[in-house]
Amino acid sequence: MITAVRALFVSVAAIGLLAVGQSAHAQDKTIKIGALFPMSGPGSYFGAQDKQGVELALEQLNKTGVNGYKFAVQYEDSSCGPLPATQAAKRLIEQFKPDVIIGEECSDATLAVMPIVEQAKVPLLNAGSSSIKVTEPGNPWTFRIMPNEVMQGVNLADNAYKRMNARTAVLLFENTNAGIGNAQVFKENFIKHGGQVLAEIGFGRDVNDFTSIATRVAGLGKIDVIPTYTLEGQGLKITQALAQAGVTKGGGGNAIQIGTIWLPFGFEQKAGKAALGYIRIVQFDPTETRDVVKNFSAAFKAKYNADPTHLNAHAYDQIMLIADVVKRGGKDPQSIRDGLAATKSYSGVTGSVEFDKTNQNTKMDTVHYMETKPDMSWTSLKWN
Amino acid sequence: MTTTIVLQQAINGVVLGSLYVLVALGLTLIYGVLVQINFAHADFVTLGAFAAYFFMHLVGAGYIISIGVAFLVGAVLGWLINAAIFTPLRRKGNELLPLIATIGVSVMMQNLMLAWFGPIPYAFETPYSSQVIRFAGIYVSWQNVIIIAVSSVTIALLYAFMKFTFLGKALRAVSQDRETAGLMGINPNQLIMLTFVIASALAGMAGAMLAPVLVLTPFAGTSVIVKAFAIVIIGGFGNVEGTILAGLIVGLIESYTTQYLDPGLIDIVVFALLLVMLAIKPTGLISERREENV
Amino acid sequence: MSDPAISHDLAVPRTALRARRMGFLLAALAIIALPLIFNDTYWRTNLTICAINVLLALGLDFILGYTGQLNLGHSAFYGLGAYVSTLLIVKLGVPFWVAFVAGVAFSGLAGMFLSLFAVRLRGHYLAIASLGFAVIIYQILLNWISLTQGPLGIYGISPPPALIIAGIQLADFRNLTAFFYLVSGFTFLVYLLLNQLVRSPVGETLTAIREDEVSAASLGINGAAWKVFAFGIGAAVGGAAGCFYGSFVGTLVPDAFFVTEAFNILAMVIVGGMGTLIGPVFGAILLTLLPEVLRGIGDLRLVVYGAALTFVVLFMPGGLAQAARIVQEKLRFGGPGS
Repeated sequence: MITAVRALFVSVAAIGLLAVGQSAHAQDKTIKIGALFPMSGPGSYFGAQDKQGVELALEQLNKTGVNGYKFAVQYEDSSCGPLPATQAAKRLIEQFKPDVIIGEECSDATLAVMPIVEQAKVPLLNAGSSSIKVTEPGNPWTFRIMPNEVMQGVNLADNAYKRMNARTAVLLFENTNAGIGNAQVFKENFIKHGGQVLAEIGFGRDVNDFTSIATRVAGLGKIDVIPTYTLEGQGLKITQALAQAGVTKGGGGNAIQIGTIWLPFGFEQKAGKAALGYIRIVQFDPTETRDVVKNFSAAFKAKYNADPTHLNAHAYDQIMLIADVVKRGGKDPQSIRDGLAATKSYSGVTGSVEFDKTNQNTKMDTVHYMETKPDMSWTSLKWN
Repeated sequence: MTTTIVLQQAINGVVLGSLYVLVALGLTLIYGVLVQINFAHADFVTLGAFAAYFFMHLVGAGYIISIGVAFLVGAVLGWLINAAIFTPLRRKGNELLPLIATIGVSVMMQNLMLAWFGPIPYAFETPYSSQVIRFAGIYVSWQNVIIIAVSSVTIALLYAFMKFTFLGKALRAVSQDRETAGLMGINPNQLIMLTFVIASALAGMAGAMLAPVLVLTPFAGTSVIVKAFAIVIIGGFGNVEGTILAGLIVGLIESYTTQYLDPGLIDIVVFALLLVMLAIKPTGLISERREENV
Repeated sequence: MSDPAISHDLAVPRTALRARRMGFLLAALAIIALPLIFNDTYWRTNLTICAINVLLALGLDFILGYTGQLNLGHSAFYGLGAYVSTLLIVKLGVPFWVAFVAGVAFSGLAGMFLSLFAVRLRGHYLAIASLGFAVIIYQILLNWISLTQGPLGIYGISPPPALIIAGIQLADFRNLTAFFYLVSGFTFLVYLLLNQLVRSPVGETLTAIREDEVSAASLGINGAAWKVFAFGIGAAVGGAAGCFYGSFVGTLVPDAFFVTEAFNILAMVIVGGMGTLIGPVFGAILLTLLPEVLRGIGDLRLVVYGAALTFVVLFMPGGLAQAARIVQEKLRFGGPGS
């Protein structure tokens, strides 16, 4: 047994040395970006797309460099959960010694990582976590470029009541931090306006068949809007099931599905006619005519032969915003943090960026409303 | 209005239930013969789904044929896992070893599929998913009609095979009393192999039929497997009739819980039923006439 | 420490006893040395997770390996310990160590309840009952949002209060090293206690029940009562691991206690070698560190992890404990004795 103990010690020690050796490779004049993305499990849905956006940005930046700096990214699988994200963050900080970290997507994971980056004094630039707790009260080292659940939910409830004249709503949401959080904000504000919430139906990420849920929704009477908060996979099934049950416009009914950021461009091609009339907030509007957007879309298409999603766009914006900070003089964790905080009307592909006291992006031009047309294309509604 | 809803949810439940039955039957067959659990069964379902998807999209074949392809893929997987895992471990004594080994296989398969197919959900559209039959306020898609039809036929064939053919009788004999089966001059190794092939073929086929229904990612099968475990127990380990009945009941629980309670409570209701069953009738819904030494 | 077989222990020779004491001493020294050798926060975090997982594996091994009760739902006791203690601290302001005792007791009682319920079930029926129990506990943690916050999660859980004796602060558990010493020290203590227990007449009784409950009954042993007792102990140990988890990670979400976690713990016990206490210790360490070490290879790390798990079971069915025994015997016969 003692032999085994010794063998284990030696091997663990060897691995430790190996890891130390790796981190000694740091090059001069490189901005090191740590990326905490979920790369395994169902959360890899985010990580895989984030990585595409990051790679595109790196390719463009490292052709010339910024202020003499090149950019290097180290990915760590943070698995969309508090403990693995904590471990991944500590590993990054200890071994890669990043100047700035981007990620995570899932709110639980981001919230768990925040105290760690604060202690290590490394800025964390987040795009995909919607929970209000990320920036409220927030901490000086965590920044978010995406409008949080409150900004999106209040705005969506306003527009549903005022522009769409909706009076009744049924909430469909996945039972996750983001799903519940977004649905609650909508509910509070919709009721405040005088709207009525007929049912709140939450479901696990393992629910397969939405026919039963659609049947229940169909039996709830006259519904104007159905705010839906799920990821692409379940979103597809819900949209098809609701249409099949004759609830939504796509199935000959009156109800209109609405929602936020969760569904990418290209969702309609998968959902087909069922998606007709779906109105939602997207983070990235590929129909925008700003040059950054056109160039990004073209470059993305050239590299991956596909249209970019909001996740691709977010990851791209995260890296490009860091590059902008470096251009303004950022070169280490502290100066990048200060540079991020001082950002004024930075124009990214998802919209512009300017942080408030809690480091939340305040720009509402990141909230793009889209409607699905009969030919499954998008029309920008210009509600913001 | 309410009767239509009750009827509609009954149809929804039966559709889902018959898919669960196909998945659970495989587990119960293996359990009946080997008293063991193949944890990678769920991933056979997933791979069956992908096999059908790619056969349809790359070869351009029809949906029904692709169900057959998924059936074959499942069969091959069953043969493989028996030869690679269960046969070598049979003599090692510890009944938990195959379970742990197949957990390893499951992790490996999921992540290989993730590497190959990616995490973004596939849209598996068959010509039948958008065609809907409507009658007196009740609707059912052709896809679901096919699901019910194919699973009924499969289950009936399996049942007939088990009841009326020599091999089937031998399988039942092994599952009920291994020593007697040995005396009947049946080679148990071949029977075990056959069981794995049939069970896994059912899983693959279930995958092909689930694919248009569920969210097709490398993790698709895992969402079904926990319920399949529950069905196997509620139906009584190794009991085919019980499993069929239990599968339909669980499907109905799912649709009625969604309607009258909350979809978040489905697992609680199903597993509470499971615990109640264990407490009052641990041999399952339908007891076979055999010596129970539980 | 070297010989995990328990039946001969009452007449253990003096040399073996000395070897075992040596082993404990070495283990204690190793625990003290580890965070000094691995002196960054990442590795110290891994070490602490190892200690928590060792605790989980020990608890499950006691249930599984020593009384033969197939428990597939150990994640439930882990989760109960974590949530009961954390909720007491966060909602009622109960001091950490009081909440700790409550969490451990609650998990232990839940284990006894499950075992009592399942006492007439055997083998795979108990396995599934425990699996069902774990699914239900997970779903309750997820759905009872007004109590547990459900998927919204509980954040900012403080570490245990600093250890202050006579006005002198001995350990501040915000410090990772101190936290590691706390968890590993506790785990070491649990190991010693379980080790005493399985070598005592109680251990003899449990083995007798595991091997043949009917003959044990003929000797006047109440098998059911002992099994419930053992399940309670194992579940309480799992609960203790949960109490540490909450205060260590600082964040609680139900997903950490999904049933797959029970299978992970089971794999640690089997890979280590069930029915020995030392085996699961190394099984837990191996399976905790393996995915971390494999981070270097990137996207395929879990493929390698899955393959490794399968091959270990295929080629080392008795687990690490058996492999170590074989190596030891070879050394004894081949070389000039150990």
